[in-house]
Amino acid sequence: MADTAKLPADSFKPMSADDRAALDSEKIAAPSLTFMQDAWRRLKKNKGAWVSLILLALIFILAFGSAIASPHDPNQVHPEYANLPSKIPGIGINGFNGTLVQAGQRIDAYKQAGATGAHYLMGTDYLGRDLLSRVLYGTRISLIIALVATLFDLTIGVTYGIFSGWKGGRVDTFMQRVIEIILSIPNLVVIVLLILILKPGMLSIIIAIALTSWTNMARLVRAQTLEIKEQEYILAARTLGESSLKIAFKHLLPNLSSVIIINTMFTIPSAIFFEATLSYIGIGISSPQASLGTLLNDGQKNFQFLPYQMWWPALVLCIIMLAFNLLGDGLRDAFDPRTKE
Amino acid sequence: MKVKSAVKLGTVATFAAVILAACGSSSNSSSEASKQTLNWMEASALPSMDSATATDVVSGETLNNTGEGLLRFGKNSSVHPGVAKSYKVSKDGKTYTFNLRKSNWSNGDKVTAKDFVYAWQRTVNPKTASQYAYMYAPVKNANEIMTSKKPVSSLGVKAVGDYKVVVTLTQATDYFPSLAASPMFFPQNKTVVQKYGKKYATNAQNNVYNGPFKLTYWTGTSDNWTLSKNSKYWNAKNVKLKKINFKTMKDPQTSLSQYQSGKLDATYLSGQQPKNYKNDKQYVERKGASTFYIELNQRKDTMMKNKKARQALSLAINRKQFVDKVLADGSSQAKGLVSTGLMSYKGKDFNTASAVPEATSQDLTKAKKLWKEALKETGRSSYDLTLTADDTPAAKNTLEFVQSQWSKLDNIKVTNQSLPFKTRLSRSENGQFQAVVSGWGADYPDAISFLEMFTKTNSYNRGKWVNASYDKDIAAADGKDANNEAARWTDLVDAQKTLLKDQGVIPLYQQGRSQLVKSNVKGVIYFPTGANWDFSKAYIAK
Amino acid sequence: MAKYLAKRIFYLILTLFIVITVTFFLMKLLPGTPLTNQAKLSQSQIALIYKQYGLDKPEWQQYLLYLAGAVKGDFGTSFQFSDQPVSYLLSSRIGPSLQIGLQAMVVGVVLGILVGAIGAMRQNTWVDTTTTVVSILGISIPSFVLAVLLQYYLGLKAQLFPIAEWGGFIYTVLPTLALGATPLAESARFVRTEMVDVLSSDYIELAKAKGLSRMGVIYHHALRNSLIPLITIVGPLAVNIMTGSMVVENIFSIPGIGEQFVKSVLTNDYPTIMGLTIIYSFMLCVVLLFTDILYGIVDPRIRLTGKAN
Repeated sequence: MADTAKLPADSFKPMSADDRAALDSEKIAAPSLTFMQDAWRRLKKNKGAWVSLILLALIFILAFGSAIASPHDPNQVHPEYANLPSKIPGIGINGFNGTLVQAGQRIDAYKQAGATGAHYLMGTDYLGRDLLSRVLYGTRISLIIALVATLFDLTIGVTYGIFSGWKGGRVDTFMQRVIEIILSIPNLVVIVLLILILKPGMLSIIIAIALTSWTNMARLVRAQTLEIKEQEYILAARTLGESSLKIAFKHLLPNLSSVIIINTMFTIPSAIFFEATLSYIGIGISSPQASLGTLLNDGQKNFQFLPYQMWWPALVLCIIMLAFNLLGDGLRDAFDPRTKE
Repeated sequence: MKVKSAVKLGTVATFAAVILAACGSSSNSSSEASKQTLNWMEASALPSMDSATATDVVSGETLNNTGEGLLRFGKNSSVHPGVAKSYKVSKDGKTYTFNLRKSNWSNGDKVTAKDFVYAWQRTVNPKTASQYAYMYAPVKNANEIMTSKKPVSSLGVKAVGDYKVVVTLTQATDYFPSLAASPMFFPQNKTVVQKYGKKYATNAQNNVYNGPFKLTYWTGTSDNWTLSKNSKYWNAKNVKLKKINFKTMKDPQTSLSQYQSGKLDATYLSGQQPKNYKNDKQYVERKGASTFYIELNQRKDTMMKNKKARQALSLAINRKQFVDKVLADGSSQAKGLVSTGLMSYKGKDFNTASAVPEATSQDLTKAKKLWKEALKETGRSSYDLTLTADDTPAAKNTLEFVQSQWSKLDNIKVTNQSLPFKTRLSRSENGQFQAVVSGWGADYPDAISFLEMFTKTNSYNRGKWVNASYDKDIAAADGKDANNEAARWTDLVDAQKTLLKDQGVIPLYQQGRSQLVKSNVKGVIYFPTGANWDFSKAYIAK
Repeated sequence: MAKYLAKRIFYLILTLFIVITVTFFLMKLLPGTPLTNQAKLSQSQIALIYKQYGLDKPEWQQYLLYLAGAVKGDFGTSFQFSDQPVSYLLSSRIGPSLQIGLQAMVVGVVLGILVGAIGAMRQNTWVDTTTTVVSILGISIPSFVLAVLLQYYLGLKAQLFPIAEWGGFIYTVLPTLALGATPLAESARFVRTEMVDVLSSDYIELAKAKGLSRMGVIYHHALRNSLIPLITIVGPLAVNIMTGSMVVENIFSIPGIGEQFVKSVLTNDYPTIMGLTIIYSFMLCVVLLFTDILYGIVDPRIRLTGKAN
């Protein structure tokens, strides 16, 4: 046809590398990121959260590493070296030089105990055990309690929440009523009762904490499930005949992950806290095992004249609590699409 | 900006609070001597004021200062005249005749012989369900009445007129005067008890008092209670204190702070506090009449039945280090099952007379050797041992220390278990333990209070250690030699020797309590058994 | 509204019933008895003492009797205070606990709002960072550590406040502070987050555009709208205070029920533990009910109906 324009053969020629470069430079695009990668990137920008993450990693390594290599055996008793204060070689500041005030006078406790050559960085406790090793050991126990309790709590809470939200209707109403009833019993009271029945010990503390703290997780997960349930991709999956179980694992869980992770960050410290309170009441971990709670409680009793015995475990506990909370806040911001810049 | 003003307001408020606080907390300690008020710390609240049913030390202590029995305890558990001016013992040691003085209850009623008869009968009456009524066992027919086999009126106590009490015992009992001085044997005013019925002694008002002080504030559940001088007391002119405020402090750190700030005149020390105050002028150690020991379950376990194993476990423990460095609260090494200072004869202490040094001291080489032999004899290569104790701080210290000591033996694995007091008791009673740390405090100043526990059938013998010659000695002391002081002494000494030589139990320490007492507090009387404290002669010096 | 209330009260009773039932049978699993020296007592004496406490009857009868008693406020007789009914023990001790608890709640929440609001208004400045750190520290220090520090530094060293005991208002200052730290921290965090959200919303922009002063905007719009959701965390805070009170009352020797709970746990005084569990649950139920009703009144978007959700 006449319409057909005749173009010269050289009208089309392959793009040169230069041309391509010129074009690319105008393109506005970032490398495609998955949700997790994006969250990770934003978390790294949050200084507080990032430092917390590193601190926590360090504490975990030290606490769990101390099971293999600890400065001293945390249970080795040396009554003759009892209650020696902190002594850090090379530091002459009172409080870190092995001296303490006794009957109004500052004395060298190490000399008095005949332990001039020894250095205990955090001092020793009433049985002459190395406090640093005890603190590391206690941190490990506290973390284990918190982690295991949280794991249980996750399993119960997430399953309960998903089930309740997914089923909806009467089942949901009933399950929510159950949670409301559980919430109206003060959890410490329940924990105390459970421990009395199960006999004090690590396992009963874990069970007691797990059994009382899952409600919060269940509520959050349920709310989120209700929201996701109405999304089109779920509808699509359903129409395609996917089983509920598969939908739960393939679609719900990944989309619930942010809620779950954030809540976990707040559950762990509260479990550590509970354990500490139980120790104060006198039904915590039994000796010679130690947790941060029992160490704090022992230290608290002698705060007036052996302040370091409370300060050290308190410091470690505060750092752990702060780090988990800051990390939790950071994760919440990182996962929240609204805070995207 | 407004925010700032809000902040300012906040600071002002805080400052106001601070100033108020400064006014509120200013105390005038200078006029203490003229006030004659003593502020005394207790570790737990006062649970009961009915002398028939009270079971605990705090009740005993308060009762001892608000009431008075036929006799009264003094220093070192010596016995002095109380409501009774004097008493006579019959030749066979079975009949005591007490002559009462004329004295009054705080409501003006006369204290008569009938008040004693009434109180004693009420206590042993099974309907009263008194848990310490067994203390009446030496009194004639008491055991039969407690088990409802005889009427209450058959109890061996009679009033002859208003001012004479005649007590008949089943058999001669050396320590009966000490019993007559215990709160459990105080008189009760029948009209008052019946007037208040179930409400009797449930608060300060529903009660009457015949002792140096009367209870003037106590709601029945309050943490604080107050004693005031009882002007009706027969010896009131010699009571100098006007008031004693008892304050319950459950946290040792708090009570020490209260003491330092002058809110308390005395405080018990615990944990590491005694170590720190050892050289202080206000530091006082109070020897108790309680010993702590380890019982080994010898029901089935061949290892625990093996004498060498038991001796090895005892020899492995450095008791001196334990009391000096770990407890460091005024406790001392146990020299036997019986507490030192409880009983003596011709100037010789019971524990000196019955000493078996190798049963209460450390010798690690010998311990290791004996342990090895015991393992061989029972055909084992190693032994796992669980040590049980209470969950109190002292018990936890004991657990940790003994574990570390026993672990020095070869082929032993020691596990610790700390249980709440009542759980520990019920498990001990049912024999659900391998080794358990038990404690016992004397009810009255006589070695039998300790030694009767380890006879074959006694329910306090939780480890079921059995020794025929021991049982024979105890039976003799309680029976044929009861009225023969010298023979009875020998029986008891031999019994403890047998127990120690066979290492039936492993004695650990004799409990002591340490206190800080303000130096201007004078004349407080302490005695190791029963009620512990008498404030009737105490005063605040200038 | 009436229907809603009736329904809520029904649930309250149901909850308490479940609490009583569960604790009753849990307590039966425990080894405690009112006996102090079992080994010295004869069988007939033990039987008598059991009878006094009603422990001689079969368990289901004991349960029904307990239930009937609990309705009338009778929780049996304490093991520890052998002459005192649990109800008297608790009623004579609940006053100080309520006072400290309420004070801590009010002080904590009011200061928390202040701290949170300041943080939000100075978002991303050092002021914000400081308030955030303070509020996180508040939930990072166990109340018994804080109590010990307050007692030592403000009570013993500075002598500003009484160290312990129960007298007048001045005695409540330190316990209130120790107990109020958590509510302060929690509400500060909460208010800050809410307010940051609200401050960036359109209606605030509108209000600013209309020329309202900064304080006007903050007071009339931002703060008010941020505070409504705060009501939802009052329940959890109440739980927190109950928990904290057990420790704080012990340290400051306050004759309250928290201290009694600890004591009862340690002495296996089961009738008292049960009574306290019921009281605690009751108080928490009432708090939750009130906050829900209050929330309905303050936030018109929420209708209280008989229907769930």
